[in-house]
Amino acid sequence: MSNIDNFKQMKKGIDLAQAMAEADRCLLCHDAPCSQNCPADTEPGVFIRKLRFKNITGAIRTIKQNNILGGACGVLCPTARLCEKACSARFKSSARPEGADRPIQIGKIQRFLIEHSWERDFKVFEKAEPRSEKVAIVGSGPAGLSCAAELAKDGYQATIFEAHPEPGGVLRYGVVSFRFDLNFLEKELADVKALGVQFKCNTPINGPEGAEKLLEEGYNAVFLAPGLWDAFSLKSENKNIDGLFSSVEYLEALRNGRLLEMENKVCGKTVAVIGGGSVAMDCIESAAELGAQDVYLIYRRSYLQMPAETEELNSAMQAGVHFMLLNQPVDYITDDADRIKGLQIMRTRLGEADDSGRRKPEIIPDSQWTLDADVVIEAIGNKAPDDSTQWWPHVKVDAKKLIKADPLTGLTSVQGIFAGGDIIRGPALVVNAVQDGKIAAKAIKAYLGKQEE
Amino acid sequence: MSDKIDLSIDFCGKKFKNPFLLSSSPVSNSAEMVAQSFEAGWAGVVFKTLNSDRIPIIHPSPRMHCINYGNKREIAVQNVEMISDRPLKHNLMDFLYLKKKYPDNILIASIMGFSVEEWSYLAKAAEDNGADMLELNFSCPHISVEGAGYKVGQAFHLIEQFTAAVKKSVTIPVIAKMTPNITDMNEPALFAKNGGADAISAINTVRGISGVGLDDWVPKPNVFGKSAISGTSGPAVKPIGLNFIATMAQCQELGLPLSGIGGIETWIDALEFIVLGSSTIQVTTGIMHYGYGIVEDMIEGLSDCMAERGIKRVSDLVGKAVPNLYETNQFDFARQGITQYDTDLCIGCGQCYTVCNDAAGQALEWDSANRLPRLNEDKCLSCMLCQFICPVPGLITYKEMPAEWQRQETAVMDKNLEKDLNYQPFIMDAPAA
Repeated sequence: MSNIDNFKQMKKGIDLAQAMAEADRCLLCHDAPCSQNCPADTEPGVFIRKLRFKNITGAIRTIKQNNILGGACGVLCPTARLCEKACSARFKSSARPEGADRPIQIGKIQRFLIEHSWERDFKVFEKAEPRSEKVAIVGSGPAGLSCAAELAKDGYQATIFEAHPEPGGVLRYGVVSFRFDLNFLEKELADVKALGVQFKCNTPINGPEGAEKLLEEGYNAVFLAPGLWDAFSLKSENKNIDGLFSSVEYLEALRNGRLLEMENKVCGKTVAVIGGGSVAMDCIESAAELGAQDVYLIYRRSYLQMPAETEELNSAMQAGVHFMLLNQPVDYITDDADRIKGLQIMRTRLGEADDSGRRKPEIIPDSQWTLDADVVIEAIGNKAPDDSTQWWPHVKVDAKKLIKADPLTGLTSVQGIFAGGDIIRGPALVVNAVQDGKIAAKAIKAYLGKQEE
Repeated sequence: MSDKIDLSIDFCGKKFKNPFLLSSSPVSNSAEMVAQSFEAGWAGVVFKTLNSDRIPIIHPSPRMHCINYGNKREIAVQNVEMISDRPLKHNLMDFLYLKKKYPDNILIASIMGFSVEEWSYLAKAAEDNGADMLELNFSCPHISVEGAGYKVGQAFHLIEQFTAAVKKSVTIPVIAKMTPNITDMNEPALFAKNGGADAISAINTVRGISGVGLDDWVPKPNVFGKSAISGTSGPAVKPIGLNFIATMAQCQELGLPLSGIGGIETWIDALEFIVLGSSTIQVTTGIMHYGYGIVEDMIEGLSDCMAERGIKRVSDLVGKAVPNLYETNQFDFARQGITQYDTDLCIGCGQCYTVCNDAAGQALEWDSANRLPRLNEDKCLSCMLCQFICPVPGLITYKEMPAEWQRQETAVMDKNLEKDLNYQPFIMDAPAA
C-alpha cells in the first residue's frame, strides 16, 4: 500500500453517543466562559446545552448560524488555548490550582454536530429573499467564505474571486490531508454554495488596481481576503535550488494533484524542515507520513519557544521526527546541477527575551556543522506578495504590506473596500478569519444600507 | 474487612449469613444461576415464581426496556416478564440440588396461584422439596387476570384468603410480597397478617412506562407494535420502596419482620433499607446491571461501616432510623439556617446562580468579572438546590442561623411593576379559623 492512502485519511471524529457523553459532563455554566473564549462567537455554551437537552438540530443550527465553517473550526481550532482553556470542567480554582484539567472536548463535539448534519442532511438555512446589492469577495479562504456566507444569508449577491483552480484557500492548499481532508472541505463548501454564493475560480485579482476596479464593474462593495501566499526565505537568491521548497509550495503540491510526485521526492530520503510553527509541523509530519527515512526539524530557539500547538509537537515526535533545537541554518549546500545537498548550520544559545517575549537565539561562534539533506522545506512564515500593493494602490498598508483595516468593521482606507483574514493581521487561525468575515459582512450590510438612503 | 463483624441475621426464625438475597426474578431463574450467586456471597434466594404447569407461560419478546439518564445507564428497567416458564418439576429438582449443595443458604420459594387450591398445591410442593420459606407473589404486575398477580394485591380479602390457605398447607414461614401500585400498603399487609403471614416483602415493581417510540408512537417495550404499562424497577424506584418499608415499620399493629426491595445496588442502599425497618434486603435490577459480584461490596462495605461504629449485629441496626420520621407539622420551625459558600474552592461555573435565580430565593448575585457567586444571606431559603448541583464537594454547606436572625421576606413585587398595575387582586374573606 502506498503511504498516500494513509495520508489522505483524517482521523475519525466522535459519534453521537460519545458527543452526548461529553455534553453530559458539561457544567452548563452561567455566562459560559467557553463561549466568551471563541474568537468567532460560535457559542459552544449554547450548542452543548442544546445537545445536552437532546435538541440536536438546534445545536447544529447554533453552530452554523454563528460560524459557517463550524466543521473546519471543530477540526482545526487549537481548542486547548481557546474555548477548552476557559472550560470550568477543568475544575481549576484558587484552592485547586492544579485542577482536574479535563475540559469538555468542545472541538470534537462541534465537529461531530456538523458531520451529523451532513449525515442526516439537515439544512440550517432557507434561501433568502434575493437582494440587488452585489459584493465582490477576493479570496475563498476562511475569511472570504465567512463574509460571503453572511451576506448570502440575507440575500446579498456575493461573488468570490479565487486565484486557485478550486475554492477553500488555506483550507485546501495550506493544510495536510490527515489534518483536514478534502472530502470534509467539499461538504463545508457545499453549505456555502447552497446559500447562493457564486465562485469564480482561476480568477486572480492581481492586475494594476485590480481589486479597486471591482467597484467600477458593478460591485457595491469589495471584501479583500486573499491571504498570504508568498513565503519568507533564508536566501532569496537561492530560489531556484532543486529540492528546496517553501512550505507554501510544498503543502500546496500535496493538495493539487502532485502528491505522488512529492512522495517520490521524499520517500526513503532525508528531509529537513526549517521552522517551529504549526506549518512546520504539517511539513515534518507529512514528510514522515510519506515515508521519508529521516526528517529533521531545524529550529533556532528551543522547545518551549515553538509556536506550534502541543498536540502537533507531540504528534510530530511520535512520527519519529528528529528535533534539532537551538540550530540556525545559515546557508544551503548544492551540487553542480543546483540540486540541494544539505545545510550549513550554526548552533545557538538563548539570550534575552525579544519583542515577542520569547528568548532570542544567539549564534555560537565557530559552531558550524553540516547536515546532509535531499529535500529542504522552509516553513518560516508567509507574507504578502511584493506587488500586492499595486492591486489595491489606494488602500493603506503597513510596512509588512498588511492592509490596515478597522478592527470593528474591517473597513480599509477606501470607501466600500473592506478586508479581513491574514492580509490584515498576518498569519492567524481559521477561526480569526471567520470572525473577520462576519464583522466585515455586518459592516458591508450597514454600508450598503446607508448608500441606499 | 473486619472478621469480627457478624452480618448474620434471624428472619422468621431462619438464620441468614448476611441480609442480602436475590429477589424473585430472572436473576433467580435456575439452580445454575443461584449456585453462582451463593458462591459470590449472597445468603439466600427468592427463587423465580413457580408455575403449576396448568397454563403455559410464554414470555413476550422483547421483554424489557430501560431508562438511561445522561451518562448513567439503566437507572430504571421496565419489564413484561412473566412468572417462571420452566416446568414445575425442573424448578423443584433445582430446589433439591441447591439445598443439598448449599444447606446453609436460604431457599425461599416464590409462588403464585390462580385459586385457593393452586396456592396450596404450590406451597406444599415447594415445602416438600426443600424450600426453607415461601414468598407469596401478590404483586406481579404482568398477570392480567382478575384474582391473580397484582390484582390480588389490590383486592385485600383475597390476600388474606390465599395467605390463610397457604399457611394451612405448610409449616415453613410465609412472606407476603406487596405491590406498590396502591396508596397505603399497611392495609393489605394487615390482611396478610390476618391470614397468618410471618413477614412482608416490598416492593414489587412499580407500574410505569419507560419511554415511547417516536417513529411509531409505540410505548416501550415495543412487543411487535404493542406495549403494556408494566413493572419498573431499579435505582429510580428506591424512594418508593423506602416509603413503603418505613411506613410499615412505623405501624405497630403490623409488627412483622420486613424484607426490603427497590433499587438496591450498594451497601449504603441496603443499610438505608435496614435502618428503615428491613431485616433482609432483596436485589434484582442491580444484578441485572452489574452481576452477582456486587454482593462482595455490600458485605465488605456494611462490615467496615459497622466495625467503624462499633456495631456488632445487623439486628441492632434494623429500624434504627424509624423513630426519626415525623409528620412535617412536627418540625421545629423556630430553627432556621442558610447556605454558606467557600468561594476559594469555586471553579466559576455559575450553576448555583442559575438555579437560585430561576428556582429559589434569588439570593445570589453574579460577579462576572471574577466568575463568583455572591450570597445575600438574608434572602437564602436554605432549599439547598445550589449545593445539589455544585460540582465541588464542600463548597456549599448548610449553617444554622442564630435565633434572632430573620429571613428577608420572599420576593415582593418590584415597585416598578406595581405602578403599572391598574387593578387590585380579588381577595375573598378567608374562611373562619
